[in-house]
Amino acid sequence: MQQNPLVEERLTGYQVELRQIVEQDLELLRQWRNDPSVAQFMLSQQHISEEQQRLWFKHICQDQSQAHYLVLYKSEPIGSANIRCYFEGEDLAKASTIEPGIYIAKEQYRNNLLAFAPTLVLNDYCFEHLKVERLKAVVKADNQAALSYNKKLGYKVDCATELVEISLTREDYEQDAKMLKSFLSRPTTT
Amino acid sequence: MSNSEKLVGAFSHALAIDEDRVHDQLSYNTIPEWDSTAHMILIAELENQFEVMLDTDDIIDMSSVLKAKQILSKYDVKF
Repeated sequence: MQQNPLVEERLTGYQVELRQIVEQDLELLRQWRNDPSVAQFMLSQQHISEEQQRLWFKHICQDQSQAHYLVLYKSEPIGSANIRCYFEGEDLAKASTIEPGIYIAKEQYRNNLLAFAPTLVLNDYCFEHLKVERLKAVVKADNQAALSYNKKLGYKVDCATELVEISLTREDYEQDAKMLKSFLSRPTTT
Repeated sequence: MSNSEKLVGAFSHALAIDEDRVHDQLSYNTIPEWDSTAHMILIAELENQFEVMLDTDDIIDMSSVLKAKQILSKYDVKF
Protein backbone atom coordinates (compact mmCIF):
# COMPACT_ATOMS: atom_id res chain seq x y z
CA MET A 1 0.00 0.00 0.00
CA GLN A 2 1.29 3.45 -0.93
CA GLN A 3 1.66 5.73 2.09
CA ASN A 4 0.15 8.73 0.27
CA PRO A 5 -1.42 7.92 -3.12
CA LEU A 6 -1.88 11.61 -4.00
CA VAL A 7 1.81 12.06 -4.73
CA GLU A 8 4.46 10.07 -6.61
CA GLU A 9 5.57 6.84 -4.99
CA ARG A 10 9.08 7.25 -6.39
CA LEU A 11 11.04 10.37 -7.28
CA THR A 12 14.49 10.29 -8.83
CA GLY A 13 17.14 12.80 -9.82
CA TYR A 14 20.54 14.23 -8.93
CA GLN A 15 21.89 10.68 -8.30
CA VAL A 16 19.34 9.77 -5.60
CA GLU A 17 16.02 7.97 -5.42
CA LEU A 18 13.21 8.86 -3.05
CA ARG A 19 10.73 6.07 -2.36
CA GLN A 20 7.66 6.42 -0.18
CA ILE A 21 8.24 4.59 3.07
CA VAL A 22 6.70 1.20 3.74
CA GLU A 23 6.20 -0.72 6.95
CA GLN A 24 9.49 -2.57 6.50
CA ASP A 25 11.39 0.75 6.72
CA LEU A 26 10.01 1.66 10.13
CA GLU A 27 12.68 0.12 12.34
CA LEU A 28 15.54 1.64 10.32
CA LEU A 29 13.85 5.05 10.42
CA ARG A 30 13.23 4.72 14.16
CA GLN A 31 16.88 3.89 14.81
CA TRP A 32 18.01 6.87 12.74
CA ARG A 33 15.51 9.23 14.34
CA ASN A 34 16.59 8.15 17.85
CA ASP A 35 20.27 8.62 17.06
CA PRO A 36 21.48 11.73 18.95
CA SER A 37 23.28 13.01 15.84
CA VAL A 38 19.91 13.21 14.06
CA ALA A 39 17.62 13.90 17.02
CA GLN A 40 19.61 16.93 18.24
CA PHE A 41 18.28 19.09 15.42
CA MET A 42 14.66 17.93 15.62
CA LEU A 43 12.04 20.03 17.37
CA SER A 44 11.40 17.05 19.68
CA GLN A 45 14.19 14.86 21.12
CA GLN A 46 11.79 12.37 22.68
CA HIS A 47 12.88 8.74 22.30
CA ILE A 48 10.55 6.93 19.91
CA SER A 49 9.42 3.43 20.87
CA GLU A 50 8.48 0.69 18.39
CA GLU A 51 4.83 1.17 19.33
CA GLN A 52 4.97 4.94 18.81
CA GLN A 53 6.62 4.39 15.43
CA ARG A 54 3.92 1.91 14.40
CA LEU A 55 1.15 4.33 15.45
CA TRP A 56 2.86 7.18 13.61
CA PHE A 57 2.97 5.14 10.42
CA LYS A 58 -0.69 4.21 10.79
CA HIS A 59 -1.49 7.90 11.21
CA ILE A 60 0.46 9.12 8.17
CA CYS A 61 -1.07 6.41 5.96
CA GLN A 62 -4.44 8.06 6.64
CA ASP A 63 -3.18 11.62 6.24
CA GLN A 64 -3.06 13.00 2.71
CA SER A 65 -1.43 16.24 3.86
CA GLN A 66 2.00 14.61 4.16
CA ALA A 67 4.26 12.12 2.39
CA HIS A 68 7.39 10.48 3.73
CA TYR A 69 10.24 9.09 1.67
CA LEU A 70 13.32 6.97 2.20
CA VAL A 71 16.36 8.46 0.43
CA LEU A 72 18.54 5.98 -1.45
CA TYR A 73 21.94 6.57 -3.02
CA LYS A 74 23.26 3.74 -5.17
CA SER A 75 20.41 1.61 -3.74
CA GLU A 76 21.57 2.18 -0.14
CA PRO A 77 19.26 3.98 2.31
CA ILE A 78 21.04 7.14 3.49
CA GLY A 79 18.30 9.29 4.98
CA SER A 80 14.72 10.41 5.03
CA ALA A 81 12.73 13.23 3.48
CA ASN A 82 9.18 14.40 3.71
CA ILE A 83 6.74 17.00 2.48
CA ARG A 84 3.70 18.26 4.32
CA CYS A 85 1.07 20.92 3.77
CA TYR A 86 1.81 24.13 5.61
CA PHE A 87 -1.82 25.10 6.03
CA GLU A 88 -4.30 22.86 7.82
CA GLY A 89 -7.11 21.33 5.81
CA GLU A 90 -5.19 21.06 2.53
CA ASP A 91 -3.98 17.89 0.85
CA LEU A 92 -0.68 17.66 -1.00
CA ALA A 93 -2.25 17.65 -4.45
CA LYS A 94 -3.81 21.07 -3.85
CA ALA A 95 -1.41 22.70 -1.39
CA SER A 96 -0.29 26.27 -2.03
CA THR A 97 2.55 26.08 0.49
CA ILE A 98 4.51 22.99 1.45
CA GLU A 99 6.98 22.39 4.26
CA PRO A 100 9.74 19.97 3.23
CA GLY A 101 11.97 18.20 5.72
CA ILE A 102 15.07 16.08 5.35
CA TYR A 103 17.83 14.44 7.30
CA ILE A 104 20.84 12.50 6.14
CA ALA A 105 21.52 9.64 8.55
CA LYS A 106 24.72 8.31 6.98
CA GLU A 107 27.51 10.45 8.30
CA GLN A 108 29.70 10.24 5.21
CA TYR A 109 27.03 11.96 3.14
CA ARG A 110 25.96 14.52 5.74
CA ASN A 111 28.72 17.02 5.05
CA ASN A 112 28.73 16.44 1.35
CA LEU A 113 27.29 18.00 -1.79
CA LEU A 114 25.12 14.88 -2.08
CA ALA A 115 23.11 16.07 0.94
CA PHE A 116 21.49 18.63 -1.37
CA ALA A 117 20.29 15.99 -3.83
CA PRO A 118 17.10 14.78 -2.08
CA THR A 119 16.07 18.37 -1.41
CA LEU A 120 16.55 19.30 -5.06
CA VAL A 121 14.40 16.33 -6.08
CA LEU A 122 11.63 17.31 -3.65
CA ASN A 123 11.78 21.03 -4.46
CA ASP A 124 11.59 20.35 -8.20
CA TYR A 125 8.61 18.08 -7.63
CA CYS A 126 6.81 20.62 -5.44
CA PHE A 127 7.34 23.56 -7.80
CA GLU A 128 7.04 21.79 -11.16
CA HIS A 129 4.43 19.09 -10.53
CA LEU A 130 2.47 20.11 -7.44
CA LYS A 131 2.66 23.77 -8.56
CA VAL A 132 3.11 25.14 -5.06
CA GLU A 133 3.72 28.86 -4.66
CA ARG A 134 6.12 28.69 -1.75
CA LEU A 135 8.09 26.29 0.40
CA LYS A 136 8.46 27.01 4.09
CA ALA A 137 10.64 25.60 6.83
CA VAL A 138 11.21 26.11 10.53
CA VAL A 139 14.75 25.63 11.80
CA LYS A 140 16.15 25.84 15.33
CA ALA A 141 18.18 29.05 15.60
CA ASP A 142 21.27 27.16 16.78
CA ASN A 143 21.21 24.87 13.75
CA GLN A 144 23.55 26.97 11.67
CA ALA A 145 24.29 24.09 9.31
CA ALA A 146 20.62 23.82 8.32
CA LEU A 147 20.24 27.58 7.99
CA SER A 148 23.30 27.79 5.78
CA TYR A 149 22.12 24.76 3.76
CA ASN A 150 18.72 26.33 3.12
CA LYS A 151 20.21 29.73 2.30
CA LYS A 152 22.21 28.12 -0.50
CA LEU A 153 18.94 26.86 -1.95
CA GLY A 154 17.54 30.40 -2.00
CA TYR A 155 15.52 30.45 1.24
CA LYS A 156 14.94 33.86 2.86
CA VAL A 157 14.32 34.47 6.56
CA ASP A 158 10.74 35.50 7.42
CA CYS A 159 10.98 35.59 11.19
CA ALA A 160 13.79 34.76 13.63
CA THR A 161 13.41 33.98 17.33
CA GLU A 162 14.43 30.70 18.99
CA LEU A 163 13.02 29.19 15.84
CA VAL A 164 13.78 30.66 12.44
CA GLU A 165 11.01 30.65 9.86
CA ILE A 166 12.28 30.67 6.29
CA SER A 167 10.60 30.49 2.91
CA LEU A 168 11.50 29.85 -0.70
CA THR A 169 9.85 31.02 -3.92
CA ARG A 170 10.25 29.22 -7.21
CA GLU A 171 12.13 32.19 -8.70
CA ASP A 172 14.69 32.31 -5.89
CA TYR A 173 15.11 28.54 -6.01
CA GLU A 174 15.69 28.47 -9.77
CA GLN A 175 18.27 31.22 -9.46
CA ASP A 176 20.18 30.03 -6.39
CA ALA A 177 20.16 26.25 -6.94
CA LYS A 178 21.37 26.41 -10.54
CA MET A 179 25.00 25.54 -9.82
CA LEU A 180 24.16 22.77 -7.35
CA LYS A 181 21.84 21.22 -9.90
CA SER A 182 24.42 21.30 -12.64
CA PHE A 183 27.10 19.60 -10.52
CA LEU A 184 24.71 16.87 -9.36
CA SER A 185 23.28 16.22 -12.83
CA ARG A 186 26.41 15.16 -14.65
CA PRO A 187 26.98 11.66 -15.97
CA THR A 188 28.29 9.09 -13.52
CA THR A 189 30.74 6.26 -13.98
CA THR A 190 28.52 3.72 -12.23
CA MET B 1 54.41 25.01 -12.69
CA SER B 2 54.07 21.42 -11.41
CA ASN B 3 50.72 19.72 -10.99
CA SER B 4 51.14 19.77 -7.20
CA GLU B 5 51.66 23.54 -7.31
CA LYS B 6 48.63 23.92 -9.56
CA LEU B 7 46.55 21.86 -7.15
CA VAL B 8 47.61 23.87 -4.12
CA GLY B 9 46.93 27.09 -6.04
CA ALA B 10 43.46 25.88 -7.03
CA PHE B 11 42.55 25.01 -3.44
CA SER B 12 44.00 28.24 -2.12
CA HIS B 13 42.10 30.33 -4.66
CA ALA B 14 38.78 28.46 -4.43
CA LEU B 15 38.69 28.31 -0.63
CA ALA B 16 40.31 31.72 -0.19
CA ILE B 17 42.94 30.37 2.21
CA ASP B 18 46.74 30.66 2.31
CA GLU B 19 48.64 28.03 0.34
CA ASP B 20 50.40 26.80 3.49
CA ARG B 21 47.02 25.63 4.83
CA VAL B 22 46.59 23.26 1.88
CA HIS B 23 47.77 19.76 2.84
CA ASP B 24 46.64 16.21 2.05
CA GLN B 25 44.50 15.86 5.19
CA LEU B 26 42.52 19.07 4.62
CA SER B 27 38.90 17.89 4.30
CA TYR B 28 35.55 19.21 3.17
CA ASN B 29 33.59 21.01 5.88
CA THR B 30 36.42 20.78 8.45
CA ILE B 31 37.20 24.46 8.00
CA PRO B 32 34.56 27.17 7.58
CA GLU B 33 36.04 28.20 4.23
CA TRP B 34 35.40 24.79 2.63
CA ASP B 35 31.62 24.71 2.53
CA SER B 36 29.34 23.59 -0.28
CA THR B 37 29.65 26.86 -2.20
CA ALA B 38 33.44 26.79 -2.01
CA HIS B 39 33.33 23.14 -3.01
CA MET B 40 31.58 24.02 -6.25
CA ILE B 41 34.05 26.84 -6.94
CA LEU B 42 36.86 24.38 -6.22
CA ILE B 43 35.53 21.85 -8.72
CA ALA B 44 35.31 24.55 -11.39
CA GLU B 45 38.85 25.72 -10.55
CA LEU B 46 40.31 22.19 -10.71
CA GLU B 47 38.54 21.51 -14.00
CA ASN B 48 39.93 24.72 -15.42
CA GLN B 49 43.49 24.14 -14.16
CA PHE B 50 43.73 20.54 -15.32
CA GLU B 51 41.40 20.76 -18.34
CA VAL B 52 39.21 17.87 -17.20
CA MET B 53 35.46 17.39 -16.74
CA LEU B 54 34.73 15.51 -13.52
CA ASP B 55 31.68 13.30 -13.29
CA THR B 56 29.21 13.61 -10.43
CA ASP B 57 30.54 10.59 -8.50
CA ASP B 58 33.95 12.23 -8.40
CA ILE B 59 32.50 15.58 -7.34
CA ILE B 60 30.71 13.83 -4.47
CA ASP B 61 33.80 11.79 -3.52
CA MET B 62 36.22 14.72 -3.50
CA SER B 63 36.29 15.01 0.27
CA SER B 64 39.94 16.01 0.87
CA VAL B 65 43.07 17.27 -0.84
CA LEU B 66 44.45 13.71 -0.90
CA LYS B 67 41.20 12.46 -2.44
CA ALA B 68 41.41 15.21 -5.06
CA LYS B 69 44.85 13.93 -6.09
CA GLN B 70 43.54 10.36 -6.32
CA ILE B 71 40.54 11.41 -8.39
CA LEU B 72 42.56 13.61 -10.73
CA SER B 73 44.96 10.71 -11.26
CA LYS B 74 42.06 8.84 -12.89
CA TYR B 75 41.97 11.66 -15.43
CA ASP B 76 45.69 11.14 -16.20
CA VAL B 77 46.90 14.00 -14.02
CA LYS B 78 50.18 12.90 -12.40
CA PHE B 79 51.37 14.08 -8.96
